[in-house]
Amino acid sequence: MLNYKTISKILNLGPLILLYYLSVSEIDSHFENYFEILSFNIQLIIIYFWVLKRPEVLGSGHIFFAGLINDVVMGFPLGISSLAYLVISLVATYVKNMTVNTRITTDWFTFFIAIFFSNLMFFILLINFSEIAINLTEISYNTFFTLIFFPFFWFLFSYYNSIITIGKNV
Amino acid sequence: MSSSRDDFGIAFRSALLQRGAKQKFSLVFLIIVAGIVFFFDVYGFGFMKPLRSIINDGIYRVSLVVSSPSRFVPQATQGFTNFLNIKKENEELKQALEVYRQKELNVEYLTNQNKNLRKILESEESFLKKENMILSKVLIDKSSPYLKSIIINRGSNSGILKGMPVLDKEYLVGRVVETNYLSSRVLLLNDLNSRIPVTFGEDNVQAILKGSGGSRPLLEYLPEGYIVEEGIDVFTSGKDGIFFPGSPIGVTNEKGEVILFSESSQLSFVKVDLSQHNKEVF
Repeated sequence: MLNYKTISKILNLGPLILLYYLSVSEIDSHFENYFEILSFNIQLIIIYFWVLKRPEVLGSGHIFFAGLINDVVMGFPLGISSLAYLVISLVATYVKNMTVNTRITTDWFTFFIAIFFSNLMFFILLINFSEIAINLTEISYNTFFTLIFFPFFWFLFSYYNSIITIGKNV
Repeated sequence: MSSSRDDFGIAFRSALLQRGAKQKFSLVFLIIVAGIVFFFDVYGFGFMKPLRSIINDGIYRVSLVVSSPSRFVPQATQGFTNFLNIKKENEELKQALEVYRQKELNVEYLTNQNKNLRKILESEESFLKKENMILSKVLIDKSSPYLKSIIINRGSNSGILKGMPVLDKEYLVGRVVETNYLSSRVLLLNDLNSRIPVTFGEDNVQAILKGSGGSRPLLEYLPEGYIVEEGIDVFTSGKDGIFFPGSPIGVTNEKGEVILFSESSQLSFVKVDLSQHNKEVF
């Protein structure tokens, strides 16, 4: 039987496993069959939340590799998603350094700033250095819904954060 | 004022350079590495192609294994639903059959269409004369707001080259845009980057079928003042030398869009036409 320590270790790895799984698997958050414009990027929410709340859970190296995997699966130039994810991570670390205690509203607002910079860099690189054409309207919807769904995941992850032990003196 | 600037500088430097208890690399280091990888890949340095090919093959296989549970659940659910709805489906099929029977009676329309199609079929590069096809399994069809593409389990080891047309049954679905040793990426017709020369209608109207990023590609470069009628079959014209003339693609609607015969989100197996091997830059 699994003992408490093993279960706790698995729980601590949860966000990391989810990030890798979403990057490598076919599961996506693009629900065009149900509602044509509905799509959002859970990876960005995972990275932002956990780097902000519990950076021990998501190492920067793992974020970098998850980005590379995402690039391969999605067919983007290698490194572009890694850069986007690391920008999110950078903003989250900066916010963490500048603030003592945050609420959902402040996290939501700063997440908007994070995805703004992340998407800005993503588009600049993709438009200037790649021949891939992208539909800006569709990407705007994606960004919008990512922002809209942030509070839902915030509550979900906050609950998960309360049950994991990494970084806690238990 | 200067104090707040100092705070910003300190927090920003700290965010870039700091390494926490569990962090092995600083953010600035990883950002630089990601930037280098990106430029190496974009500018196509010689060593990147085989490296990327190996990484692609490896990750596609892992992705296939990892995605298998997520494939099984919808398949099982769909099978169960189909089982329950089989009677209803039978009725619907009978109705659909009736519609097709009525369509058969439209002799005038078919005569005109046949006349035009016969011209295409008489050419040497006929769609029906192709033989060199290879069947491939769809490994990944991850939907994305960025790219509409699929990964298939055939690569350069099976003779697949960039630019080759890909079909679902007899319907064109896209073309190969990236080849690895064991896998390839197929750009679907509805992707924003897709452009296919097509022909349709009694007058053999020539147009370009442009992917819209949505489910229905658009007809562009039509003759001036031309109004697209609903229900006209669209075929490849073969003017680019990449696709066989006469491959069926879809049917027009009144908005000038094409409803594809093959549903791109439902592809399981596709055929790659090995006889057409004009290389195309993506």
